[in-house]
Amino acid sequence: MMDPKFLFTDLAQIQAQTRRHFLGWGAGGLGAFFLNDAMRTEAQAAAVQKLNFTRDPATPLSTLPPPFRARAKRVIYLHMGGAPSQLDLFDYKPTLARFHGHDCPQSFLKGKRFAFISGIPKLLGPQFPFHQAGQSGTWISDRMPHLQGKLDEICMVKSMKTDQFNHAPAQLLVHTGDPRTGHASLGSWVTYGLGSENQNLPGFIVLVSSGGITANAGKPLWGSGFLPSVYQGVQCRSAGEPVLYLDNPKDVSRAQRREVLDAVDEINRQTHRQFGNPETVARIAQYEMAFRMQLEASDAMDIRREPAATLARYGAEPGKTSYANNCLVARRLAERGVRFIQLYHWGWDSHGTPTDEGVNVGMVNRCRETDRPTAALLSDLKARGLLEDTLVVWGGEFGRTPMWENRGGQEMAFIGRDHHPSAFTIWMAGGGVKAGLVHGQTDDMGYEIVQDPVEVRDLHATMLYLLGFDHHALNYPYQGLDQKLTGVKPARVIPQLLA
Amino acid sequence: MAPKRGDRILVWDSPTRLFHWSVVALVFVSWLSADRGYMTVHLWSGLALLSLLLFRLAWGFFGSTTARFSNFLHTPPRILNYLRGKDKLFYAGHNPAGGLMVLMLIGVLLAQAVTGLFSTDSLRFSGPLALLVSEDLSLRLTSLHGAVFNLILALVWLHVVAVGFYLLVKGDNLIRPMITGRKPASYVSEGQRLVFTHPFIALLVLAAAVTLVAGILFWGTT
Amino acid sequence: MAGRVSVLAYAGGVLLLTIGAIGAAMLLRPGFAASVRQVTGLEPVRAAAADSFYAVRVAPLFDQHCTGCHGERSAKGQLRLDSFAAAWRGGRHGDVLGADGELYRRITLPPSDIKAMPPDGKQPLSRDELTVIRLWLAGGARGDVPASAVKNAPELVLPVTFPSFDPQAVARQRARLAGDVVRLQARFPGMIAYESQASDGIEVSAILAGKRFGDAELQAFAPLASRIVRLDLSGTAITDAAPLARMTAVIRMRLADTALTGNIVPALESLPKLKVLTVTGSAIPAQALDGLRRKGVTVHGGGDGA
Repeated sequence: MMDPKFLFTDLAQIQAQTRRHFLGWGAGGLGAFFLNDAMRTEAQAAAVQKLNFTRDPATPLSTLPPPFRARAKRVIYLHMGGAPSQLDLFDYKPTLARFHGHDCPQSFLKGKRFAFISGIPKLLGPQFPFHQAGQSGTWISDRMPHLQGKLDEICMVKSMKTDQFNHAPAQLLVHTGDPRTGHASLGSWVTYGLGSENQNLPGFIVLVSSGGITANAGKPLWGSGFLPSVYQGVQCRSAGEPVLYLDNPKDVSRAQRREVLDAVDEINRQTHRQFGNPETVARIAQYEMAFRMQLEASDAMDIRREPAATLARYGAEPGKTSYANNCLVARRLAERGVRFIQLYHWGWDSHGTPTDEGVNVGMVNRCRETDRPTAALLSDLKARGLLEDTLVVWGGEFGRTPMWENRGGQEMAFIGRDHHPSAFTIWMAGGGVKAGLVHGQTDDMGYEIVQDPVEVRDLHATMLYLLGFDHHALNYPYQGLDQKLTGVKPARVIPQLLA
Repeated sequence: MAPKRGDRILVWDSPTRLFHWSVVALVFVSWLSADRGYMTVHLWSGLALLSLLLFRLAWGFFGSTTARFSNFLHTPPRILNYLRGKDKLFYAGHNPAGGLMVLMLIGVLLAQAVTGLFSTDSLRFSGPLALLVSEDLSLRLTSLHGAVFNLILALVWLHVVAVGFYLLVKGDNLIRPMITGRKPASYVSEGQRLVFTHPFIALLVLAAAVTLVAGILFWGTT
Repeated sequence: MAGRVSVLAYAGGVLLLTIGAIGAAMLLRPGFAASVRQVTGLEPVRAAAADSFYAVRVAPLFDQHCTGCHGERSAKGQLRLDSFAAAWRGGRHGDVLGADGELYRRITLPPSDIKAMPPDGKQPLSRDELTVIRLWLAGGARGDVPASAVKNAPELVLPVTFPSFDPQAVARQRARLAGDVVRLQARFPGMIAYESQASDGIEVSAILAGKRFGDAELQAFAPLASRIVRLDLSGTAITDAAPLARMTAVIRMRLADTALTGNIVPALESLPKLKVLTVTGSAIPAQALDGLRRKGVTVHGGGDGA
C-alpha cells in the first residue's frame, strides 16, 4: 500500500511541472540540435577569475572580502537629478563669457540632437563669478561657498561623457550601466559583491529629497535588475518612520510578530524545497531583516540624537524631509556599516522654463539647499576618520549646453541651458581618490572634451577598482552573458584618479 | 576519316577558348579593381571567375576531347620526360607540361576565389561568406588571399614565358589555336577521334555553375 | 615558323623584361621597393633601442591602437606598425612617417572623416598620445633617442592592472591563524574579516557591538594581533587598560566615541605600523597626540570632541 504522504508529494511534484519547465527542457534540446559550430566565434582567452559570491541563503548580505585590497569600504552617492549646470558651477570658460549673447556657431549645431533647442540659439556665458580656491587652485563659482572650502579633498572630473541626452535613460546609465531598465544598479552590484557590515540594516539605502518627486527613471535606479532581489536599494524616509509599515501594528507585540514570521518562514521553506526558487529564500531573508530593522533602523535614522552643533553644521531640521537631513543620516548610516547610501536631490534641470528651474533662480536654490550639507558631510566624515575609506561621489546624469536654451526657437524669459551629453562634471572624495585633482578638460566653449574623456562605464570601473574589484570579475550570468556593471564595451580604470 | 579542310583542324571547342580568354580578362579586372579599391567590381569579377572555374571543372569531364582532364593530365614521369625534350609526340590539345600548367592555374585561381569569399578588410568590405567564420580565420584567409595573388603572378609569368618560348624559340604558335581553335593537321594523330560536345551543353553547364555559386551565396548570407 | 630566337637570347630577354617589371613595381610601390631592398640586403633592418623614446612611449601606443589592423594578424594597406622596421618600411604607398606624413595626417583627422585613423568609430588618440607621436616624428622618427631626452613629452600614464593572486599561497599564509580566526568568528559574528581574498591581513570592527564590547573582549583577539591590520573599536566600552599595544600590525585604527584618555597614548605611540588614527569623541586631549602627529601619523579628532 503506497504511503499517502508519498503520493501527495508526488502529486505536488507533478503539479509543479509547469509548462514553463517543459518548454525549458525542450528548448535546450532543440537548441542544441541547431547549434552551428561554424557560427561560433573563437572564445576569447578570458583570464577573468571566477569569483564565488554564494553565501548562506539565510544571510545573503554577509560580508565577502574583495579580491584585492580595497581603498573604499562604502559608497555615498549624491545624485543631483536633472543635471546641474557645470558651466555655472565648476567648468570656468572665460571665452564663452566673451561670446555671451552671440549666435551659436553652426559647427556646434550641425548633426546634433537636442532635447529642446531648435533653430539658432544664443551662447550663454557663465552666470556667476568664478575664482580659484584651495591649494589646488581649482576654479569654482560663488554658488557653492561651503564646498569651496573642501576643494582640496575633492577629485573633480570635468571630462565625463555620456551618450544619453534625456533624463531617464541617462540616469539609468549612470546608476545601472545601461540606458534601459532591467539592469542591476551600482548599489546592488556592490552589496552583491561585498555584502554589508551591518546585518540589521539594508546594505543599500536610498534617501530622496525632492519634494515627493522621484527621479525620472524611477525606482529601477536602485533596483536589483537581474541580481537576486535581496540586493535592491531600500528607499528610507528621513522624517517619521524610516520605512513605512516597518513598525508592528498597534496591539501586535514583537513576540507575536516573531511567531507570525516563524510560521511564514516555514511555509516559504517548504515552497523552496519543492520549487527551489532562490527568490523564496530572498523573501525569507527580507522578512528577517525587516524584523531586525524594527529595532535598529529608527535609531540609525533618528537625527534628533545628534548634538545641536552638528545639526547646525548641516542645516538639518529633524522632522522635515530635506537634503541636509539626508546627508546627516547618510553619515550615521556610514558609521553603522551600511555599504551603499544613495541620495537623490531633484530640481537641477535648469532649462529656464519655469522660474524654479532657471539657472538664475532654481539652480541658485538647489545650491543653497545642497552646498552646506554636502560640505558638512565631507567634514564630518573626515573628522570621524571615515572619509579615507568612504567613497563620496557627486554628480548628475549629463551636462548643460553652452547655449542659451530657446525652447521652440523662442528666446526665453528666464535663463536656461539644454541637456548636453558631450561633457559634464562630477567630483569624488575620499575612498582612495586623488584629492585636489582636476581631471580632464573641455574646449574653450565648454562644448566638447579635448582631454582625457571619461565614459560613465570608466567611472564605474574606477569605483569598483577602489572597492577592490576587477570590474570584469564582478559578474552575474544572465541571458547567456556574464553581465557586468560596466557592460560589454571596454571600460578602463582611470589611473590619474587614484591616489 | 573526315576530309581535312586545308591545313588546319579544329582542336579547341569554343567554350574552352572563351573560358581561357575570359579568365585572362577577369584576372586582370580582379587585379586592377583590388588595386584601385573598386571592391564591388572585384567582388563580381571574383564571382564570375569562380563560376567559370566551376564550369571548367565540370567541362573537364563532359566537354570536348581536348578539354577533358583525361586528355591532358599525365603522370609525373611522363611530364618530366616531356620537359626533358624526350617526348616526340604531337598533341592535339595541351602537351603534358601545358596540362600541368592548366592544373596549377585552375588550382590557384580556385584557391584565390574561395579565400576571397571569406576575406575581410575589417572595415568596409568583406567577402559574402566572411561572417560564416570566426574573425581570426577570416583574417588568416585574407592573408592567404593576398599571398596566393603572388603565386598567381608567378604562375602567369611562367605561363607567358613558356608560351613565349614555344613561339619565339620553338616556332610553335600556341596563341593562335587558342583563338581560332585550329591547329595544323599534323598535330592530330592518325586514328585519334576528336569529339566535340555541343556548345549548348556548355551553356547548360555554365548555368548550373552560376546557379551553384548563387546558391552558395544565398545559403551563406541568410 | 618565323622569328626563331635562340634559347639564350630568349632567356636573356625574359630576364631583362622581368627585372624591368620588378623595377617598375618598385617605382610604383615604394613599400615593395623597401621590402626588396631589405630582402636583398641593400638596406639594413632597422631597430630601436629598448630605452628609446620610440620603444617606451610610441610602440605601446601603436600596440594599443594600431596593430590590430596593422600588425601580424593583418596588414591593412600593407602597413605594419608592430615593429620599428615595419613602421619605417611604410605601406602600399610608401613612407608614412614624417612630421606631415600620412600617419600623422590620418590620426589627426576628425573622427567623422572616412580616412581617419583609427577608423570606424574606434577611440581616437587622445591629445597627449598625439603629442607623443608628433614629438617622435618631429625628431626624425628615430630609434636611438632615449625617452628621458625628449622634453615636453606628456606624463607617462601606465594603465591599471588588476592584481592577481594564488589562492593556495594565500591559504598557506592564513593557515597558521586560521583556527583562531574561525573560533573568534563564531564567538564574535560579523566582526572579523580578511582584508581581501589576496591577503592574510585581518580587519576587526566592533562598532556594532557597542558597549557590550570591552577590554576583556579585545583581549580575546590577542592570538590574531600579529595580523590585524585594521581595527575599529568606535563606540565600544574599551578603557585605557585595553591591550592596544599588542596590535603591532595595525595600520588604521578608529577609536571614536570611546572613554579613552591621554593615558592610552604611549601604547598608541608604540605601534610601529600605525598610519591613521581616529579619536574623535574620545577624551584624549589634542596636545597628547602631538607626538603621534610628529611621527607622521594622520590623526583625526582629539580635544574638540566634535
